[in-house]
Amino acid sequence: MSAPRTFVKWLVTLGSLHAIVVCAGFFTPYDPIEQDRKNPYFPPMRLHLVDEQGRLHLRPFVYALKLRAGTFDQYEPDTSQSVPVKFFKSGARYRLLGFVPSRIHLFGSEGTRICLLGTDAYGRDQFSRLLYGGQISLLAGILGAGCTLSIGLCVGAAAGYFGGWRDNALMRAAEVFLALPWLYLLFALRAFLPLSVSPLKAFFLIVAVIGAVGWARPARLVRGVVLSAKERDFVRAARGFGASDFYLLRRHILPETSSVLLTQAAILIPQFVLAEMTLSFLGLGVPEPTPSWGNLLSSLQQYSVLVSYWWMYIPAMAMVPFFLGYLGLASSLQERLEPYKIERRIPGGLA
Amino acid sequence: MRYLLRRTVHALFLVLGVSILAFLFTALAPGNYFDEMRLNPQISPEAVAALRAQYELDRPLPLRYLSWMNSVLHGQMGYSFAYNSPVAPILFARARNTLLLTITATLIAWAIALPLGIWSAERFGRLPDRLLTWATAALLIVPDLALTLGLLVLAVRTGWFPTGGMTSLDFGSLPPGGKLRDLALHMTLPVVALVLSALPLLIRHVRAAVAEVLDAPFMLAAKGHGIPRRTLLYHYALRAAANPLISLFGFSIGALLSGSLLIEVVMSWPGLGPLLLESILSRDLYVVIGGVLLSTLFLVSGNFLADILLYWADPRIRTESGVR
Amino acid sequence: MKSEESIADQDARPILKVASLAKRYTKRSLGGRREELFALNGIDFSILPGTTLAVVGESGSGKSTLALCVACLERPTSGSIWFENRDVVTLAENERREIRPQIQLVFQDPANSLNPRWNALQILIEPFVLQKTIKNGERKERAFSLLERVGLSSQIAGRLPSELSGGQRQRLAIARALTLEPKLLILDEALSALDCSVQAQIANLLMELQSSLGMTYLFITHDLAMAAQLADEIAVMSRGRIVEHGSAEEVLREPKHESTRHLLAAVPRIPRTPSSVIG
Repeated sequence: MSAPRTFVKWLVTLGSLHAIVVCAGFFTPYDPIEQDRKNPYFPPMRLHLVDEQGRLHLRPFVYALKLRAGTFDQYEPDTSQSVPVKFFKSGARYRLLGFVPSRIHLFGSEGTRICLLGTDAYGRDQFSRLLYGGQISLLAGILGAGCTLSIGLCVGAAAGYFGGWRDNALMRAAEVFLALPWLYLLFALRAFLPLSVSPLKAFFLIVAVIGAVGWARPARLVRGVVLSAKERDFVRAARGFGASDFYLLRRHILPETSSVLLTQAAILIPQFVLAEMTLSFLGLGVPEPTPSWGNLLSSLQQYSVLVSYWWMYIPAMAMVPFFLGYLGLASSLQERLEPYKIERRIPGGLA
Repeated sequence: MRYLLRRTVHALFLVLGVSILAFLFTALAPGNYFDEMRLNPQISPEAVAALRAQYELDRPLPLRYLSWMNSVLHGQMGYSFAYNSPVAPILFARARNTLLLTITATLIAWAIALPLGIWSAERFGRLPDRLLTWATAALLIVPDLALTLGLLVLAVRTGWFPTGGMTSLDFGSLPPGGKLRDLALHMTLPVVALVLSALPLLIRHVRAAVAEVLDAPFMLAAKGHGIPRRTLLYHYALRAAANPLISLFGFSIGALLSGSLLIEVVMSWPGLGPLLLESILSRDLYVVIGGVLLSTLFLVSGNFLADILLYWADPRIRTESGVR
Repeated sequence: MKSEESIADQDARPILKVASLAKRYTKRSLGGRREELFALNGIDFSILPGTTLAVVGESGSGKSTLALCVACLERPTSGSIWFENRDVVTLAENERREIRPQIQLVFQDPANSLNPRWNALQILIEPFVLQKTIKNGERKERAFSLLERVGLSSQIAGRLPSELSGGQRQRLAIARALTLEPKLLILDEALSALDCSVQAQIANLLMELQSSLGMTYLFITHDLAMAAQLADEIAVMSRGRIVEHGSAEEVLREPKHESTRHLLAAVPRIPRTPSSVIG
């Protein structure tokens, strides 16, 4: 497949994945913070088409759960109660894309809840929390990447264009930042800011912190592009027509950095989503009850959860298709923009 | 020689810069260790003030930095509020545990990545290479957190491996052979997690570096001379591909202290990671700075080591820099 | 070779006078050693308005540096550049910005001197946008008339440089250089990257433009034969200095300096009578 077509393929795949997460309200049956304390730690309910007696049902269904005899926290399917799945069911209110009020969900049920991925300690549906959590984590990654790339762009352009002592100073600062262990810096930065804040504030705090940590590598790359673009004759010609520095940067030089920035974005976004997950997992990120992929996993820090409630692990793999998409996107971008290099630049934290 | 001198100065400058940055930043952060104490009605304000004076928290910032720098140069690294003891011994004890893990993992990872990468580069573009690339990509897209937690779940459900910590409770009473076995069992999961997270990138880089070299005309010429395959690969190709690999190796060394943070925390391995997290959360100033400094030292030394090795291994650098 | 008569209407005062121009570059090598390079080492010459001075030299003689300095795109280390009786070197940046439009530069490689992402129309309009001299509505008209002037059809207006031939690109570059009606045009190896036949066409265009617009040319090249065709005076440059200067005829007939002789020898000579080759 030719380079442009793989690129489009990855873009479409990634776009659809993101679309599902963005429209989480539609794709999930329940509200993510709605609790049901009578039914904690339900295991995932499997969809069936054929029931115990071997009859085929046209409409998929799940079995309600009942307590396993002799235990107080283990559940098993109650084959006497089948709960049919209803599609396009009206349910809890939500706002599609943040402003269109709606009540229609892709699927739902009457009475007993369908918990495709089980529930957590408070009886909250994990499937719903997973998709809503994705909104937070992905947004944090994307905004964080935007932040980092903006800082990197400014610093790199200033260093590359103006040169001299400014270049030296900025690059030395970049080296110091690169010399710091990334994850340590992230934790330290976050932990030294106020710890118990509202979810919204916490979110923006994390984005700012993530964004402030990783600017050094993009800055260096941008600087390289600006250095070579500066020497192009069309820039000289524009100067000969009386262009100011700002005009040259804006119209001629910075457009040359677009390919570097795009590739870096595809590499950084997954890294930053992971950073948010790690922070939230350790309690330094988005606090309860707002779900994020990280804090969905934080219950796994307890031994009892590890032993008995294995489905709480599933959110950890939620990131995988997105990682794959971003990895593919980055590879195809690199191929598209630099087809003559043998995979020289490989996504990841290494040079 | 000049080149080495310049790199040394550069490295020192970096460490200094980082120490200033870390110090500034932790000292300027809102909240400090004694805020908690102040809220405690049982401790009198005078006691808190006395403690603060003892830890010199009221002196101006540059002076505190200088006195801290002074103590570092004398081998101490300040005083921990939480542990109520000098920082250096605590740090070094934990660092030892971390290094145990990371050195083992790094050795294993390189031992696997080098031959695999070379093998893959030889068959560049063909099926075995593509399969390996797919496998490494599959590993690459699984986030570290998922990997570590997954291993933990595995341990719990199979019961083959202990689920955390460095040693069992009865460690002291085991015979030497038993001690080793116990340690090894506890180490297995973290080491596997570390190796699995490092492997994909390592293999990819080795493969890319060697593939680029294998393509070069001089390799074709050497082949034409009838030089046996083994020599070709390890003597010629690897040496030519050494540059990026040495940089990579420097980076591996550099990450020895800092790369295992998450894994240590999740698997309760008593290394530098959990210590740092805990002291960050409790605002134990000097432990944090000491820890950051120590891991930065490793990072900078790793790069520096790579520079030295490059200087020694690549004659082009020698001629470019000095003799004219 | 230009005839003496076309050097008519000359003002006794030169439009451009360069005195003791020097440009030094310092390079720092990996070992920390500093190297000093004098690209220009004391250049003196002047050009009368409406004439063409060719500066000829081998690569590395400093010609491009000279072009950049005269075009006010690089600052010389020392010396003076008098343009219409003002010393450009001593002027402040904003004053220099006023002068720059009057001295325009046509570069060697149009692939490098035209922004590959912009189409021909955008490239031509840019000087108007920057100088704000002409009103928005008239800019397109001006651009099209310039295209016509250099012999390009108006159809290429929407094309990118990559969609044009070498000759077309260079014509576009010349058109762009003419937008602000400069008094002095510096041609830095402007013909060197073109095919022989195209070279001749562009050379003719340049001659025609000069006679109709009365421009002064500073023509920089390594090709002595081309210089002979186009220039009134020739100055030979070697290693940052001018080693010979005179009218085109004089320099060609009696080359005094070794570099000139070198350059002369490099010109391929085709025997006058084909029969002596074949027959």
